[in-house]
Amino acid sequence: MTAEPADPALSSSQEGKGHRNAFVAMILAWLVPGAGHLYLGRRSRAVVFLLLVAFSICLGVLLHGKLFVVLPDQPLSRLGTLASMGMGIPYFVLQFVLGYRGDIQGSSYEYGSAFLLTAGLMNLLLVLDAWDIAGGHKD
Amino acid sequence: MSHILLMALYAVQVSVFFAVLWRRSPRDQGKLFLQLFLGMMVGGLVLAWLMYPLPPSPPGPIP
Repeated sequence: MTAEPADPALSSSQEGKGHRNAFVAMILAWLVPGAGHLYLGRRSRAVVFLLLVAFSICLGVLLHGKLFVVLPDQPLSRLGTLASMGMGIPYFVLQFVLGYRGDIQGSSYEYGSAFLLTAGLMNLLLVLDAWDIAGGHKD
Repeated sequence: MSHILLMALYAVQVSVFFAVLWRRSPRDQGKLFLQLFLGMMVGGLVLAWLMYPLPPSPPGPIP
Protein backbone atom coordinates (compact mmCIF):
# COMPACT_ATOMS: atom_id res chain seq x y z
CA MET A 1 0.00 0.00 0.00
CA THR A 2 1.37 3.33 -1.03
CA ALA A 3 0.90 6.11 1.44
CA GLU A 4 0.10 9.55 0.17
CA PRO A 5 2.37 12.28 1.47
CA ALA A 6 0.74 13.80 4.52
CA ASP A 7 2.17 17.23 3.85
CA PRO A 8 3.11 18.05 0.29
CA ALA A 9 5.32 20.84 1.57
CA LEU A 10 7.62 18.37 3.29
CA SER A 11 7.46 15.32 1.05
CA SER A 12 10.38 13.92 -0.88
CA SER A 13 10.75 13.79 -4.61
CA GLN A 14 10.32 10.49 -6.41
CA GLU A 15 13.83 10.44 -7.81
CA GLY A 16 15.31 10.01 -4.38
CA LYS A 17 16.79 13.48 -4.24
CA GLY A 18 15.98 13.79 -0.56
CA HIS A 19 13.49 15.99 1.19
CA ARG A 20 12.52 19.12 -0.64
CA ASN A 21 10.30 21.82 0.71
CA ALA A 22 7.49 22.59 -1.74
CA PHE A 23 7.21 26.21 -0.66
CA VAL A 24 10.92 26.80 -1.22
CA ALA A 25 10.62 25.10 -4.61
CA MET A 26 7.71 27.35 -5.56
CA ILE A 27 9.43 30.53 -4.48
CA LEU A 28 12.64 29.58 -6.27
CA ALA A 29 10.66 28.62 -9.36
CA TRP A 30 8.98 32.01 -9.38
CA LEU A 31 12.08 34.07 -8.69
CA VAL A 32 14.33 32.45 -11.30
CA PRO A 33 12.81 30.40 -14.15
CA GLY A 34 13.97 26.80 -13.81
CA ALA A 35 15.41 27.25 -10.32
CA GLY A 36 12.55 25.32 -8.72
CA HIS A 37 13.20 22.31 -10.92
CA LEU A 38 16.93 22.58 -10.26
CA TYR A 39 16.21 22.58 -6.53
CA LEU A 40 14.10 19.46 -7.01
CA GLY A 41 16.88 17.69 -8.89
CA ARG A 42 15.41 17.99 -12.41
CA ARG A 43 18.49 19.53 -13.95
CA SER A 44 17.84 18.91 -17.62
CA ARG A 45 14.28 20.19 -17.41
CA ALA A 46 15.47 23.19 -15.40
CA VAL A 47 17.91 24.14 -18.15
CA VAL A 48 15.27 23.77 -20.87
CA PHE A 49 12.76 25.87 -18.95
CA LEU A 50 15.33 28.53 -18.15
CA LEU A 51 16.31 28.80 -21.80
CA LEU A 52 12.70 28.93 -22.98
CA VAL A 53 11.60 31.64 -20.58
CA ALA A 54 14.79 33.64 -21.14
CA PHE A 55 14.32 33.35 -24.91
CA SER A 56 10.75 34.60 -24.60
CA ILE A 57 11.78 37.56 -22.44
CA CYS A 58 14.70 38.53 -24.69
CA LEU A 59 12.61 38.32 -27.83
CA GLY A 60 9.81 40.30 -26.19
CA VAL A 61 12.25 43.05 -25.26
CA LEU A 62 13.91 43.02 -28.68
CA LEU A 63 10.48 43.46 -30.24
CA HIS A 64 9.76 46.39 -27.87
CA GLY A 65 6.78 44.64 -26.29
CA LYS A 66 4.78 46.07 -23.44
CA LEU A 67 5.72 45.27 -19.86
CA PHE A 68 2.43 45.61 -18.01
CA VAL A 69 2.00 47.84 -14.99
CA VAL A 70 -1.19 48.50 -13.04
CA LEU A 71 -3.12 51.46 -14.42
CA PRO A 72 -5.91 52.71 -12.14
CA ASP A 73 -8.32 53.47 -14.98
CA GLN A 74 -7.73 50.12 -16.73
CA PRO A 75 -8.82 47.18 -14.54
CA LEU A 76 -7.60 44.60 -17.05
CA SER A 77 -4.07 45.92 -16.65
CA ARG A 78 -4.04 44.13 -13.29
CA LEU A 79 -4.34 40.77 -15.05
CA GLY A 80 -1.59 41.69 -17.49
CA THR A 81 0.63 42.84 -14.65
CA LEU A 82 -0.01 39.65 -12.71
CA ALA A 83 0.87 37.55 -15.75
CA SER A 84 3.99 39.59 -16.47
CA MET A 85 5.14 39.44 -12.86
CA GLY A 86 5.04 35.68 -13.19
CA MET A 87 8.48 35.86 -14.78
CA GLY A 88 9.91 36.69 -11.35
CA ILE A 89 13.13 38.65 -10.90
CA PRO A 90 13.43 39.54 -14.61
CA TYR A 91 10.20 41.54 -14.35
CA PHE A 92 11.54 43.69 -11.55
CA VAL A 93 14.91 44.11 -13.24
CA LEU A 94 13.24 45.25 -16.45
CA GLN A 95 10.75 47.47 -14.64
CA PHE A 96 12.78 49.11 -11.92
CA VAL A 97 16.45 48.64 -12.81
CA LEU A 98 16.39 49.11 -16.56
CA GLY A 99 13.26 51.26 -16.67
CA TYR A 100 11.95 49.23 -19.61
CA ARG A 101 8.53 50.24 -20.93
CA GLY A 102 8.34 49.07 -24.52
CA ASP A 103 7.53 51.10 -27.58
CA ILE A 104 3.86 51.27 -28.45
CA GLN A 105 4.65 52.82 -31.83
CA GLY A 106 6.95 49.96 -32.80
CA SER A 107 5.70 47.70 -35.57
CA SER A 108 6.43 44.60 -33.49
CA TYR A 109 4.91 45.94 -30.26
CA GLU A 110 2.01 43.48 -30.12
CA TYR A 111 4.24 40.50 -30.85
CA GLY A 112 6.71 41.58 -28.19
CA SER A 113 3.90 41.98 -25.67
CA ALA A 114 2.71 38.44 -26.43
CA PHE A 115 6.19 37.03 -25.84
CA LEU A 116 6.58 38.92 -22.55
CA LEU A 117 3.18 37.82 -21.29
CA THR A 118 3.88 34.25 -22.36
CA ALA A 119 7.17 34.25 -20.45
CA GLY A 120 5.34 35.19 -17.26
CA LEU A 121 2.57 32.68 -17.80
CA MET A 122 5.00 29.87 -18.58
CA ASN A 123 6.89 30.58 -15.39
CA LEU A 124 3.66 30.55 -13.38
CA LEU A 125 2.99 27.07 -14.76
CA LEU A 126 6.50 26.07 -13.69
CA VAL A 127 5.70 27.25 -10.16
CA LEU A 128 2.68 24.92 -10.09
CA ASP A 129 4.74 22.11 -11.62
CA ALA A 130 7.37 22.52 -8.91
CA TRP A 131 4.63 22.22 -6.29
CA ASP A 132 3.35 19.02 -7.90
CA ILE A 133 6.82 17.47 -8.08
CA ALA A 134 7.68 18.39 -4.50
CA GLY A 135 4.35 16.99 -3.35
CA GLY A 136 5.00 13.67 -5.07
CA HIS A 137 2.07 14.10 -7.44
CA LYS A 138 4.35 14.10 -10.46
CA ASP A 139 7.80 12.73 -11.21
CA MET B 1 11.04 39.93 -38.64
CA SER B 2 8.13 38.71 -40.70
CA HIS B 3 4.79 37.82 -39.17
CA ILE B 4 5.06 34.19 -40.20
CA LEU B 5 8.53 33.85 -38.69
CA LEU B 6 7.36 35.35 -35.41
CA MET B 7 4.36 33.02 -35.39
CA ALA B 8 6.64 30.04 -36.02
CA LEU B 9 9.03 31.12 -33.25
CA TYR B 10 6.13 31.48 -30.85
CA ALA B 11 4.73 28.09 -31.84
CA VAL B 12 8.12 26.41 -31.41
CA GLN B 13 8.66 27.97 -28.01
CA VAL B 14 5.24 27.07 -26.62
CA SER B 15 5.32 23.58 -28.15
CA VAL B 16 8.71 22.75 -26.65
CA PHE B 17 7.58 24.09 -23.29
CA PHE B 18 4.47 21.96 -23.06
CA ALA B 19 6.16 18.90 -24.54
CA VAL B 20 8.83 19.00 -21.83
CA LEU B 21 6.32 19.91 -19.13
CA TRP B 22 3.74 17.25 -19.90
CA ARG B 23 5.72 14.31 -21.29
CA ARG B 24 8.70 12.37 -20.01
CA SER B 25 10.06 10.14 -22.77
CA PRO B 26 11.74 11.83 -25.75
CA ARG B 27 9.44 9.94 -28.11
CA ASP B 28 6.31 11.25 -26.43
CA GLN B 29 7.80 14.71 -26.21
CA GLY B 30 8.53 14.73 -29.93
CA LYS B 31 5.04 13.53 -30.72
CA LEU B 32 3.37 16.18 -28.57
CA PHE B 33 5.69 18.85 -29.93
CA LEU B 34 4.67 18.05 -33.49
CA GLN B 35 0.99 18.00 -32.60
CA LEU B 36 1.14 21.36 -30.85
CA PHE B 37 3.40 23.01 -33.39
CA LEU B 38 1.44 21.89 -36.41
CA GLY B 39 -1.83 22.69 -34.65
CA MET B 40 -0.76 26.25 -33.95
CA MET B 41 0.77 26.85 -37.37
CA VAL B 42 -2.02 25.30 -39.40
CA GLY B 43 -4.68 26.80 -37.12
CA GLY B 44 -3.11 30.25 -37.43
CA LEU B 45 -2.92 30.05 -41.20
CA VAL B 46 -6.50 28.82 -41.47
CA LEU B 47 -7.70 31.65 -39.24
CA ALA B 48 -5.73 34.16 -41.30
CA TRP B 49 -7.22 32.76 -44.49
CA LEU B 50 -10.76 32.95 -43.05
CA MET B 51 -10.21 36.57 -41.98
CA TYR B 52 -8.69 37.61 -45.29
CA PRO B 53 -12.00 38.84 -46.81
CA LEU B 54 -12.75 41.00 -43.77
CA PRO B 55 -11.99 44.70 -44.20
CA PRO B 56 -9.05 46.02 -42.18
CA SER B 57 -9.95 48.20 -39.24
CA PRO B 58 -8.66 51.77 -39.12
CA PRO B 59 -5.76 52.33 -36.75
CA GLY B 60 -6.82 53.36 -33.28
CA PRO B 61 -5.55 56.43 -31.44
CA ILE B 62 -2.24 56.10 -29.65
CA PRO B 63 -2.80 56.66 -25.92
